[in-house]
Amino acid sequence: MAGDLRRSPLHDWHVAAHAKLVGFGGFEMPLAYPTGTVAEHLACRQGAACFDVSHLGTVEMTGDDAFERLQGQLSNDLRRIGPGRAQYSHLLDEDGSVLDDVIVWWVDDTTFDVMPNATNTSRVRNAIGGRDTTAQRAVVAVQGPTARAVVGAIWPEAAAVGRFMVAPVAWRGTACMVAGTGYTGEDGVELAVPVQVAAAIWQALVDAGAVPAGLGARDTLRLEAGLPLFGHELGPGITPLQAGLGWVVGWDKPLLRAREALAAERERGPARRLRGIVASGRRPLRDGATVLFDGRAVGRCTSGSFSPVLGRGIALCLLDAGPGGEALPEGTEVAVDLRGAHVPATVVAPPFVPLPSPAPIAGR
Amino acid sequence: MDLPEQLRYTTDHEWVSVTGDRIRVGITDYAQDALGDVVYVDLPAVGTVVAAGEVLGEVESTKSVSEIYAPVSGTVLSVNETVTAAPEQLNSDPYGAGWLCELAPTDPSAPEALLDADAYRRLVGG
Repeated sequence: MAGDLRRSPLHDWHVAAHAKLVGFGGFEMPLAYPTGTVAEHLACRQGAACFDVSHLGTVEMTGDDAFERLQGQLSNDLRRIGPGRAQYSHLLDEDGSVLDDVIVWWVDDTTFDVMPNATNTSRVRNAIGGRDTTAQRAVVAVQGPTARAVVGAIWPEAAAVGRFMVAPVAWRGTACMVAGTGYTGEDGVELAVPVQVAAAIWQALVDAGAVPAGLGARDTLRLEAGLPLFGHELGPGITPLQAGLGWVVGWDKPLLRAREALAAERERGPARRLRGIVASGRRPLRDGATVLFDGRAVGRCTSGSFSPVLGRGIALCLLDAGPGGEALPEGTEVAVDLRGAHVPATVVAPPFVPLPSPAPIAGR
Repeated sequence: MDLPEQLRYTTDHEWVSVTGDRIRVGITDYAQDALGDVVYVDLPAVGTVVAAGEVLGEVESTKSVSEIYAPVSGTVLSVNETVTAAPEQLNSDPYGAGWLCELAPTDPSAPEALLDADAYRRLVGG
């Protein structure tokens, strides 16, 4: 592994567990444990999995003007929530492109923890200000239908933090921050804990029955849940409207970046829209593959892999919209060009598998 | 890493076992570990004639695609239909239930030129 990668506070645990490590967002992180990506994925859908997501950034915003700065810089409308709540939001370019997607943890009246993608932490910090506290904490996500029961066995106060709620919670006297958020489509919590207690909490979670899962499973889980990934479904040239995330735009805010571009796009209808496609067989669909309808290209896959739950190839894709602004409807039979082979597939509305409600990233 | 002494190996991380006039081909323990969970296997049709080094099939994990190359020239005699439905057998039993296909080599002595276990062990740094 390259020597210039940053390490998680849980690095030693991963090495001792014989995890396969991979460079991601400037960090050396577990791709999979010997359990394997598919078993880790299914553990999260059926029980509880724990993920080290310390590579995510944390930018702490404090002060009387913190609300106004975030409200002016990020797309979503913080007035939809309040202190003690979390909200999904976008940092937009002037043309409406998504520069990053973040989760805002509104801790109290004057304190916010903003969590960008690992590679975008400095970009987000440049836009909103604040203090990069990434190196001071680990972030552990515990996800799955039994996640709260597993967390509750070792840390009841953390397990009690509800969906999209945020609360300061102590671990044996050490101040931590817990949110009812995640990136798998399942219920669960994310625990932001100081470096010195990270290993003890992780070990306690594993002992309580959480299955350690790597970034490989995290990616197939978020894909199966239809959740966007920056650099794939979001990025230069892709607006929230194209990605089907119009609810992330706070139209009623006095100050909204890219308002003109977004309003114009809303008026004429997005030129393309994010859809799901499910292959007829097991072959994994792949990022970048062309989607064909009636023999002509109608879009491309932005993320693709294999759904362990469905046992089929799946992909998110941006499909060209017709004159009425509508993309191909659900149920349309298409083909995906995988290195010259045309794999039959069907257009669907994500998520690809049934998930608990409310919608996984609907931090409204 | 499991590396049976009686098998032959290729630099593309395939193993070959010889039984009379047919060879059986699979991927090595090293290869399955590097790939991660195999979720899809594409095998050639029985009767396909391949030259050594030509693409024989494809093995995919959630993250990556790897081609399988013919270790020697020959004709495909049979394929392991079981792994098509249960590709995880490439991970759990790469030298046994996870075999891929059987070939009739054009030159029956060709497998002798492949790597032996010691040479393959050196290749993968074991």
